[in-house]
Amino acid sequence: MRMLLFCLGICAIAGMAGTGSAGSVDRQPQPADPARHAFPALGAVAERKVTVEWNRFYDHAGLGAILANLHEGFPNLTRLYSIGKSVEGRELWCLEVTSPTGDASRKPAMYIDGNIHGNEVQAGETVAYTAWYLCHQYGRNEKVTQLLNRCVFYLIPTINPDGRDSWFHEAHTANSSRSGVMPVDDDHDGVADEDGPDDLDGDGSITTMRVRDPHGRWKPHPDFPEFILIPTAPDEPGQYTVLGSEGIDNDGDGDVNEDPPGGYDMNRNWAWDWQPNYVQRGSHEYPFSLPETRAVADFIAARPNIAALQTYHNNGGMILRPPGREGGVMRAGDERIHQAIAQRGEKMLPFYRSMIVWKDLYPAWGGEFDWAYAAQGIVSFCNELWSARNQDKGAANPTPEESALFLKHLLFGEGVVPWRTYQHPTYGLIEIGGTQKNWRRVPPSFLLEEECHRNMAFTLYHADQMPLLSLNQVTAEKIKEGLYAIRVEVANARLIPSHTEQDVINRIHPPDLVTFTGPEVKVLTAGVATDRFFKQITPVKRRPERVEIPTIPGMGAVWVQFIVSGRGKFTVTLDSPKANLLEHTQNLP
Amino acid sequence: MFAHALLRPGICLLRLLILAAAPGALAGDGDLDYLDNTALTRQLRDLSKSFGEVVRIEPIAETAEKAPIWRIELGSGSAEARVQRPAMLVVAGIEGDDLAGTASAMYWAETLAAGYSKNEAIRRLLDSTTIHIWPRLNPEGAQHFFATPRLESAANSRPVDDDRDGFLDEDGPEDLDGDGLITWMRVEDPEGEYQPDPAEPRLMLKADRVKGERGGWQYLIEGIDNDRDRAWNEDGSGGVNFNRNFPYNYRFFAPDAGRHQISETETRALADFMVSHPEIGLVFTFGANDTLAQTPKAEAPKRPPTALHEDDLGWYRELGKAWREGLGLKKEIPADAQPGTFTEWIYFHRGRFSLAARPWSPAIQVELASAAPGEAKSGSGEEKKEESPSKEAEKEKPAKQSAQKPDADKRGEEDRAFLKWVDAEAPACFIPWKPFDHPDFPGQKVEIGGFAPFAKTLPPGRFPAKLADRHATFLTTLGGMLPRVAIHKLTAKHLGDGVYDLTVQVQNLGRLPTALAQGDLSREVQASRVILSVDEKSLLSGRRTNFLKGIPPGGIREVRWIVHAPEERPVEVEVISAIAGRARATVTLKKETL
Repeated sequence: MRMLLFCLGICAIAGMAGTGSAGSVDRQPQPADPARHAFPALGAVAERKVTVEWNRFYDHAGLGAILANLHEGFPNLTRLYSIGKSVEGRELWCLEVTSPTGDASRKPAMYIDGNIHGNEVQAGETVAYTAWYLCHQYGRNEKVTQLLNRCVFYLIPTINPDGRDSWFHEAHTANSSRSGVMPVDDDHDGVADEDGPDDLDGDGSITTMRVRDPHGRWKPHPDFPEFILIPTAPDEPGQYTVLGSEGIDNDGDGDVNEDPPGGYDMNRNWAWDWQPNYVQRGSHEYPFSLPETRAVADFIAARPNIAALQTYHNNGGMILRPPGREGGVMRAGDERIHQAIAQRGEKMLPFYRSMIVWKDLYPAWGGEFDWAYAAQGIVSFCNELWSARNQDKGAANPTPEESALFLKHLLFGEGVVPWRTYQHPTYGLIEIGGTQKNWRRVPPSFLLEEECHRNMAFTLYHADQMPLLSLNQVTAEKIKEGLYAIRVEVANARLIPSHTEQDVINRIHPPDLVTFTGPEVKVLTAGVATDRFFKQITPVKRRPERVEIPTIPGMGAVWVQFIVSGRGKFTVTLDSPKANLLEHTQNLP
Repeated sequence: MFAHALLRPGICLLRLLILAAAPGALAGDGDLDYLDNTALTRQLRDLSKSFGEVVRIEPIAETAEKAPIWRIELGSGSAEARVQRPAMLVVAGIEGDDLAGTASAMYWAETLAAGYSKNEAIRRLLDSTTIHIWPRLNPEGAQHFFATPRLESAANSRPVDDDRDGFLDEDGPEDLDGDGLITWMRVEDPEGEYQPDPAEPRLMLKADRVKGERGGWQYLIEGIDNDRDRAWNEDGSGGVNFNRNFPYNYRFFAPDAGRHQISETETRALADFMVSHPEIGLVFTFGANDTLAQTPKAEAPKRPPTALHEDDLGWYRELGKAWREGLGLKKEIPADAQPGTFTEWIYFHRGRFSLAARPWSPAIQVELASAAPGEAKSGSGEEKKEESPSKEAEKEKPAKQSAQKPDADKRGEEDRAFLKWVDAEAPACFIPWKPFDHPDFPGQKVEIGGFAPFAKTLPPGRFPAKLADRHATFLTTLGGMLPRVAIHKLTAKHLGDGVYDLTVQVQNLGRLPTALAQGDLSREVQASRVILSVDEKSLLSGRRTNFLKGIPPGGIREVRWIVHAPEERPVEVEVISAIAGRARATVTLKKETL
């Protein structure tokens, strides 16, 4: 029936009413909510408690509204709270998503944020989409239901809401508003943020200034003069000199746009491998000197159950992993796990490449995921959302000419700011033009939802690899009457170990504990074996009822043996910071 | 016996009155009490009340336990004037057990406050310089000195899982022998890695297996293994040592380093103060890393840096000499190198002069004693003894400088020399080893004793005013050395038709450069600005604002403009230096040939 209605709806929309072959035929299409006549495409449910259009961007309040609507629609699955405030007082909203069963703080957790660089906006939609998808699929899709039953997600769409809102509501280039808005005196003249770019033509974008100049070294592209400036040949006279971003010398010091708002890089402000400004540009005054980074760090550090982290940036189509600098920390065992997850990601994310930051991109000190991995022992990725290869699905990045064709034929010229003349106070008669801020680093409307879904799928794969521990093999072997060997298999059915190698080496989190209790049982000795045949058992030195295990390896197990005397009931528990508290009770034979 | 020293808060005000009456006779004017937090607050209030003209105090932050962190600001004139002058900061008590630093810093504050009306040099200093003093950054740590039992700790009270076993502060020390002091235990044990020092069996040395030594003793802090993990007192109450909590050479995961750099309220208050007061050009810290006991290492600049910028070495060498001379030390003494110190952050990341020294130390004491008239040649003291077993973070030991006789066993030499002094002058500082029947070591020989808490951090009883006075004199001298910009010459040469060649010469009248090489390199000491007060139209050549990098003492830098002024008029040039104050001058543009 629904199918039928759906067909009718399509017919009606197509203006073909009355020509359909179905039984009852309307003469006129009826205005109604087409959502009531929708049929699901695979990927997202048709019946939506919360409707969000994933083909446009939302400012901070917009993202907040999506989270609030989800929280209202799914009160049992979500908690909505702020983890801190930005410089301008915007809340850093977090939607915590998990099933209502179990203690959320004892489930393995995945932390996901985006938009630490204010201009890298689609990160926010990708995180919000993840929340939207998880909420709607819980109880419908088996995999998602399982995931939310055993894991918790901390989803923070933007951790730089000031930079985000500035990018939306003020004039910018595709690259500006990367910083937050805490004032920095970039030009050391004693005044902060007094000479940023200016939207001289009032179109909401900061574009490029050029001046006609017989000594200039630039000329318009012969085929795409409205889109592209190209350098002239070495022996060819030019037509233009490029003067930089749109703006005037606001403070009259002879420089244009030399002290824009902000002036730091929040993704260089993290404590691990932090270096001062002159070594790492943008690192700000000291590690976690910014309220946003400190709030996130405090949030993560207070949640030892976080075993996976994803942070979203743009652009270039990359699945990045630490370390950010040559010689930085990435333990061999942890590298293998990161590699395995990223390699699967390459299959899920066309045009994305798995890369190590310092080696394959550029060196960067004090990055967020360096801290998350090295200081907290969390398996961490950063995705650079959107690859321009999506424009024509080509084998390489599009050439400027190919991009111009895309703008022309698929966006019908939208995104281009035609060159216009302008009387500039310093430069005289100039031309202003170029491309809008939402061209180049963010996808066009019709590719945004795909970007969101594929990246979310990658993070759900990552989340699914968080340790899944079990205590399912407990055997009691009678040595003689009243004396028993209890053997316990502590298994991990997923890729990520209960403690990463970095965690184990530095004892970042307390070790896993296997404890044995029984009202009428005394533990004489206990030990850990790393092979199932119990060939090598290392006996603990003291407290045999409480065995510490440094880590339970991915796709592996650890075996614990207790030699006990007594009778009756006993209980074995497994307490791992990154997994549920497990308990097993049975009787001695 | 200093362990039982009485607090005498009344003496503070009394001393101030004496100082006010007779500032000339400072030295030897009664030694200084170690102040608990209440007494310190009282003394600060008295100070600001008595000398309000030049002293302001402010509780700038508060610890988790609500103890105030005080800041003293000394200087004459308005707040606006004080913020424009060259400034200097002294930090004490950044390591919680540094009560001697607090005493010394307070002594200097009082000396300056009382001296303002009497002493010409001090008046000149406070009229031209702003002095900030943070007498105690770690009040929580300082309270250990006054607690029973007495336990020495440099850390604050934040609970930290030092042994990372999931439990907080579950295995601290105990006063087993009930003498009110947490001292040491030595336990005869074939597994033990320590042995009595052959030259002084009261001291313990780590066995050197290469030399065929077998050890045979465990050397532990007094207490029991509360959590039965076969580690003794490895997770006591607290905390973070603030002088390991700063970003340069920070050690993640060290038990006393904090969760990350500048993680504590107290360290953050100090860091934010530095960031918001760029005019502070020189910082002196009582504590590690010593930069004055020995000349630090230097290197050609690299990023990230690992030693002083080679071009800055000379200043450090000379200031070190001056400090040692001022204190009465005849030679370099061992320097305490530690990771994550405030001192190194200030130099390496903030680009400012940053000096540090202990207000007192066993090495200083031994050296002063041996440098006294009729001095006997003492040991060179360049090798530190093996540190106590629980103080992992302090195992980094200073570079050995002077040549060693290849055969001499220098291990423990400094401790032996200090113990000799203790035996003669302060026997209560070393508790004789006494057997103890320890429940964790049934059937094993256990002895409790060793250096008393604070024995190696504070001079016994009270702090010698003489030593505080030597430090105060050095600090006053340092304040007088700060760089100061001045306008040496400002000329306007009329070129004809209202066009002038305007030239200013900016000079540094101080004894230190307006920026260290590290200050220029890091750009954290921003270049001095030379600003001409004319509108853009009148300026035919040059920029209104010009930037000058570091100017050496006495150095002169020149800036020129071509200005068009149809009418005769005055023009002003202002120099605003990051750390060397400000200067301004006016010249009238006149159409006459000079």
